[in-house]
Amino acid sequence: MPWEVIIFYFIAATAIAGAAGMVIAQNPVHSAVFLVICFIQIAAVFVMLGAEFLGIIQIIVYTGAILVLLLFVLMLVDPEDLPEFHVGRPVQRAVGVILGLILLLEVATAIATRTITGRQGNATLENVELVGGNTQALGRVLYTDHLLAFEVVSLILTVGVLGAIVLALPERLGVRSYKRKDTISLAHPRGTDIALPAGEGAQVQTGLSSTAVAKPSGVGRRLIMSSDPDEQPVTGGGRQ
Amino acid sequence: MNDQPMWLTFLFAFLIMNVLLIGMAYMTYFERKVLAGMQDRMGPTRTGPKGLLQPIADGVKLLGKEDLIPRFADKWVFFFAPLIVFVTAIVGVAVIPFGGTIEVFGRDLNLYITDLNVGALFLLAFSSIGVYGVILGAWASSNRYSLLGGLRAAAQVVSYEIILGLSLVGVFLLAGSLSLRDIMIAQQTNLEIGPLTVKNWFILSQPLAFILFMIAAVAETNRAPFDLPEAETELVSGFHTEYSAFRFSFYFLGEYIAMIVISLFASTLFLGGTSGPGSENHWYLGVLYLLLKAIVFLFFYVWLRATLPRFRYDQLMGIAWKVLLPLVLLNIVVTAAIRLASDGLLF
Repeated sequence: MPWEVIIFYFIAATAIAGAAGMVIAQNPVHSAVFLVICFIQIAAVFVMLGAEFLGIIQIIVYTGAILVLLLFVLMLVDPEDLPEFHVGRPVQRAVGVILGLILLLEVATAIATRTITGRQGNATLENVELVGGNTQALGRVLYTDHLLAFEVVSLILTVGVLGAIVLALPERLGVRSYKRKDTISLAHPRGTDIALPAGEGAQVQTGLSSTAVAKPSGVGRRLIMSSDPDEQPVTGGGRQ
Repeated sequence: MNDQPMWLTFLFAFLIMNVLLIGMAYMTYFERKVLAGMQDRMGPTRTGPKGLLQPIADGVKLLGKEDLIPRFADKWVFFFAPLIVFVTAIVGVAVIPFGGTIEVFGRDLNLYITDLNVGALFLLAFSSIGVYGVILGAWASSNRYSLLGGLRAAAQVVSYEIILGLSLVGVFLLAGSLSLRDIMIAQQTNLEIGPLTVKNWFILSQPLAFILFMIAAVAETNRAPFDLPEAETELVSGFHTEYSAFRFSFYFLGEYIAMIVISLFASTLFLGGTSGPGSENHWYLGVLYLLLKAIVFLFFYVWLRATLPRFRYDQLMGIAWKVLLPLVLLNIVVTAAIRLASDGLLF
């Protein structure tokens, strides 16, 4: 079927372009977008191979959940805080290129000689059709032959979730949130958000000039830690 | 399923897409009229008889507006973010079955675009990609209000997607399939409640899942009372603050089409899809029933918007993780136990 081949080449080319773009792009958010493209195209390859379930799960889990959270973080990172790449660190660059080439060579050899074939299962097209489709076939295998592995994976994921909760907890369990020792707030204590004009003759300033003074640039606002949100912090605006 | 030529499927898909676009336009009219009625106003009356041409006028006006791009915007991302929302919303309709196979001009025509083995998950997957349009658009605008809206959208959709997906597991357990067509066919069997014999719509056997699904669906489509990403009063309409003209209209289209598709989805999953009196013999009655059921859900959306104030952000998250998630897990466990017991496998 020629049109299937054409569609496959289109998908494959887009997937490779997405992967390449992910590495090349300078902006981390652009990288994430390219990775999304790559993932969706790989899901499309899964669907073309008759594994709709895998394809859709690939989209839901990787594209829909994990990458969204990744993007979430990337959007909050100031690009200037990121380590500059392609600058300095010649050793790392050289080692990276060498390791990459070795990996590429390994994969190419494996594909060329077809040494990585794995154990042949009984999942032929006919057998899959017999149980009613690949979703059902996968479900059967997962919940019978590989039940133990499945349960272990669930346990590991639960441990991961609990770990994240413990790390994010600001205080010991049982301490109510309003008694928090420290709170994060922007360094502008109440009422001092608008800076008063200072110096002699400042009071007579009206109209445009006063609004110009009213908003000093955001430089003075630092992220500070204070033990009470209403407390006047010592740093930042409190000194004015 | 595969006996239909490709071009016929494409033709049908094209038809459905255009019907959906017109449906979206008149959804705005419907919403304005219903809202107006609830608030004792008239709603649109001027353009055309009873204001019926108002959506067309709005569309023309939106396309004629100036297309503004903020100076510090990330132009490429800013350009395609609205398209993501629009496309992912409209693709979902591909798995909605409007009926079985009918004969038109001597050809068999399937009244569904595709009967995917994992149809329900397909819809969920595309609604989860849709959030990229929101957060990327918000980020690319380089506007703080937009970014806040985008972050809210990301957190909200990721949380409520879990509820949405898990609330369907009960239905999948009962139907034994993820295909929307199989789920619809599974609801054609009769169910006897005392003297009554009714169709086995899953709203009867899965009432808790239905309520949870509706809550999660409203949150997933960013509609009131879960419209925090575009909270006008705090965020100046959030993620699309900087969008104007036809780029804004894509967000607008995406939101309303997502509502329509989710309503069709809910009707198929819980209200028997095309089932109704006489629908076995006349396919057009089936389509009519499906649309009527979807309109009930759309009315519900508007009703919510007119009635409920917006949630606070911590309430939104608290409800998802502390109330809805335990309930939805309980529903799965109970449904699975009942299913096993009815097969005689539990004890």
